[in-house]
Amino acid sequence: MIKKSDLILAGVILIIALAAIVFINVTKKEGAVVVVTIGGDVYKTLPLDEDTTLTIGDKQGDYNVLEIRGGEAKMTEANCPDKICVAHRSIHYDHESIICLPHGVSVEIRDGEKSDVDMIAN
Amino acid sequence: MKQKITAFLLGMMMISMLSACSFGKDMRYEASFLELFDTASVIVGYAKSEEEFTKYSQMIYDELKVYNELYDIYNDYEGVNNIKTINDNAGIKPVKVDRKIIDLLLFSRDWYEKTNGEINVAFGSVLSLWHDHRTAGLDNPEKATLPDYEELKARNQHIDIDDMVIDEEASTIYLKDPEMSLDVGAIAKGYAVERAALFAQQAGFENGMISVGGNVRTFGNKLDDNGKEIPWSVGIQNPDLSSDEKTLYVLNLSGYSLVTSGIYERYYVVDGKQYHHIIDPKTLMPTEYFVSVSIICPDSGMADALSTAVFNMPYEEGSKLIEGLDGVEALWVFPDQSMKYSSGFQAMIKE
Repeated sequence: MIKKSDLILAGVILIIALAAIVFINVTKKEGAVVVVTIGGDVYKTLPLDEDTTLTIGDKQGDYNVLEIRGGEAKMTEANCPDKICVAHRSIHYDHESIICLPHGVSVEIRDGEKSDVDMIAN
Repeated sequence: MKQKITAFLLGMMMISMLSACSFGKDMRYEASFLELFDTASVIVGYAKSEEEFTKYSQMIYDELKVYNELYDIYNDYEGVNNIKTINDNAGIKPVKVDRKIIDLLLFSRDWYEKTNGEINVAFGSVLSLWHDHRTAGLDNPEKATLPDYEELKARNQHIDIDDMVIDEEASTIYLKDPEMSLDVGAIAKGYAVERAALFAQQAGFENGMISVGGNVRTFGNKLDDNGKEIPWSVGIQNPDLSSDEKTLYVLNLSGYSLVTSGIYERYYVVDGKQYHHIIDPKTLMPTEYFVSVSIICPDSGMADALSTAVFNMPYEEGSKLIEGLDGVEALWVFPDQSMKYSSGFQAMIKE
């Protein structure tokens, strides 16, 4: 025979469980990542909140050096001819990217802080 | 009591489900690619599902790809007569081309007349000399050289747009002067973006934005978190790349396009001095009036053409041209970083 108090207990547990699920879902915030692609294929995915330096490609051949520091990503060095990627300022907003066209390299922020600006004309 | 608990549980479940998915709301998607027009392209837009967005973005990509091949002046494509084919046959024979090329060249000739020759697609022989020196200089910076001025002047004898014969009925283009060549770099990208944007809208893509190398065209609106329509926000790049300020201004820009011509990206260095890619038809040298000029108007092809034309004009002349055109605004950035803008520009600035 199920007692009323058992039901209440079951109910309370269920409510706590549900509340926990709701809480986890609402507050779940996956950290921003830096997605590096070469020729459209993902080469590496790095967390934006961990300082690191990544050499994309091969120092003997085509390469770009990506630096993640203080929650921002920047191309600090490259041996491409135009160096447009190195001149690009650092990025941290969601979907911001640095492109090195000669090497087919793209560095893009995903799941980052949303910007009010949808696009920049340059 | 039991009923109360059940009701409460049900309520909790419904709330949690509601927060997990909101019915029928358009979601924001984004696609990007590097293959076209020798630059980076981005498509942003709202759709019911990822499939729907992919359908539209693929449609835009395919359309842009067609234009990219047709308007290419450097590469051949199998089975395609493009602008390079026309150049290769200068002085030899008329080339049968797709209507999209005829339309672009008619549009270009129209703008040649409207800007008193500041936009000249027949300027290719001069531009190609600069292009070759710039490319060689970027590949081998120690040996970078400027084009020989006498050679520039000699090539400048072969830039008469009247020698470009457009036969609409036969759908052919013929360059009468064997030494001339077409360069549509100042106009083709914007024109193609405009066509692709119209095409996508006709197919039912309501709220979106296309950027091909920073040549931005928006249509419809942006949707905020509650699904309410608000204007797209597009920033104008700060030409001073060392500055912490990424943008000079952010504009409310729905149903408009924004194109900037600037000297801060495409350039090469000879003896410590930067030489950028926008060449003044009067001096045959890189234009020195501004570091960037931005044009805002509904038609992206027009914005592209005007950004180069106005870049090549002294401020007073350009300002007169812009104020004389309906629905066109401009921002001029001078070498000392000071700025001037057209009469209706301020009303577009986002608060």
